[in-house]
Amino acid sequence: MSGFRRMAERWRGAGFATVLLVILIAVNLLLNPSRFHPSAWGALIGLAAPLIGAALASAPVILAGRGGIDISVGPLMGFVNAIVIQLLFLKLGISSPLVIVPAALLIGAIVGAANGFLATVVRIQPIVATLGTYLILTGMTLTILPAPIGPAPVWLKAMAGPWSALPLALIFLFWWLVRQTPYYDQLMAVGSDDRAAYTAGVPVTKVRFIAYVMTGILAACAGLMLTALIGSADPNIGPTYTLIAIAAVALGGVSLAGGRGGLLGAAIGAIDIFLLQSVLTAFNVSTYVLQIAYGVILVVAVIMTALQERLSGRKG
Amino acid sequence: MADRATLSVRSLVIAPGASPVTQAIAPGEIVGLAGLDGHGQERFLKVLAGLERPAAGDVTIEARAITSFRKAVASGIAYLPRDRRSTGIFPTQSVLDNFAVSTLSRDMRFGLLSFAARRRRYEAYREKLSIVAPRPDASITTLSGGNQQKVLLARALALEPAILLLNDPTRGVDVATRHVLYDVFRGLAADGMALVILSSEIEEILLLCHRVLVFREQQVAAEITGNEMKSDTVIAAMFGRAA
Repeated sequence: MSGFRRMAERWRGAGFATVLLVILIAVNLLLNPSRFHPSAWGALIGLAAPLIGAALASAPVILAGRGGIDISVGPLMGFVNAIVIQLLFLKLGISSPLVIVPAALLIGAIVGAANGFLATVVRIQPIVATLGTYLILTGMTLTILPAPIGPAPVWLKAMAGPWSALPLALIFLFWWLVRQTPYYDQLMAVGSDDRAAYTAGVPVTKVRFIAYVMTGILAACAGLMLTALIGSADPNIGPTYTLIAIAAVALGGVSLAGGRGGLLGAAIGAIDIFLLQSVLTAFNVSTYVLQIAYGVILVVAVIMTALQERLSGRKG
Repeated sequence: MADRATLSVRSLVIAPGASPVTQAIAPGEIVGLAGLDGHGQERFLKVLAGLERPAAGDVTIEARAITSFRKAVASGIAYLPRDRRSTGIFPTQSVLDNFAVSTLSRDMRFGLLSFAARRRRYEAYREKLSIVAPRPDASITTLSGGNQQKVLLARALALEPAILLLNDPTRGVDVATRHVLYDVFRGLAADGMALVILSSEIEEILLLCHRVLVFREQQVAAEITGNEMKSDTVIAAMFGRAA
């Protein structure tokens, strides 16, 4: 019973996003049944995976509160994409997942640690600190890889096809484990109120720093999923994920003030945006209009979430 | 119950120019801190908690120096903050999470958290402090002010401290709850815990404490014990008049 309640509680946070999800799935099924046929799920999830990954990656630092945000998630995805294909696969001839995956995660952890150091130890405002990293990573990616190049290892491409659910499943397993450790409670406490967390004996700086490292690692995962999807390296795609991922996180009911929401909500927000894209593309709507639609949905979602909170607050 | 310990304050100067304070707070003792707002009693309490640094002197507990909040917690000091809305509760978290945040690692089983163990620990304190919270997994903001305060007290007690520092613990708490808290405080002292209570209400201090330190201009203006503990004496000391 209490497990059910916990579940219900968790879904309520992402309330509007979940309703939108159901509607969008229904509309998509009506418009384009063959695309959403179970046999096409592998490719479909692979197509949505980089955005879901980017949203999941953006979530931990946002949960940690006090303006925590990492806008370098997109460029980090692009950087991982470039390193994996250009440096590891093409130059060094390494194709083994046992080297590529740890190398990518290590890059993510290092960039995340750098962001975390700037934002939590040096105490530069997170948006400025990660803007710096954003520019550095974008520039480094273009230096390594001035123009798109291919291909990608076969196993990696399979991660956007039949095996596309595997990386996401692993991320959720990882997050489930995090939830079973004291760290998760400390993260939510810090995000909820950092001064109260300090007086409760929570090591605030350390908790935030780890959140940045987790974001970096998850962004590297998203970078691998991006590489799998495009089956090549492209220096220009990564950075485009940053803002849309933050939109997905907000849509999924994660408060940008911190301490409220979770990775499930972020994923639902990302799926919403993906499905919306799919609906509008089915209507042959131009990509410019697509941007307008994202914006409108985001604003509506944030208003709906605020209203919902105010109403439930009055009831309690 | 944790080990009993004496909190020693040696030549402590709260603010430059004030005269030093030397005190020993023994197990089982309830010491009150009184004074007009801003006359140093809150700063004194925070120095005891390691949250603020004194101008001179030191605070030790069984020969361990309290120089930071972390050291204070590690040495068996628990601190209950004054303003529970801004520095106490986590409004987005549940009652249970609010209770457990200081003692998370105690529920570890085989490297992972046991939520059942956390629940059991909470239930013990819920009973002890008669917390009225129908659902431990509901948001803490659904509780009344008094019950939120009890959850915070439960959080501090879960650390099983030797010394409990309370910063105006009954502020904004209803009368019935106050008396529950008073009984709890007396019970803790009887079990050997040392309590330091800062209160803005003189009646409360007179009712609870064995002795009271009255602060005026960042120093202890009077230490009042026994038969002298009357509100006239305390008020006189607060305003710097001889009683």
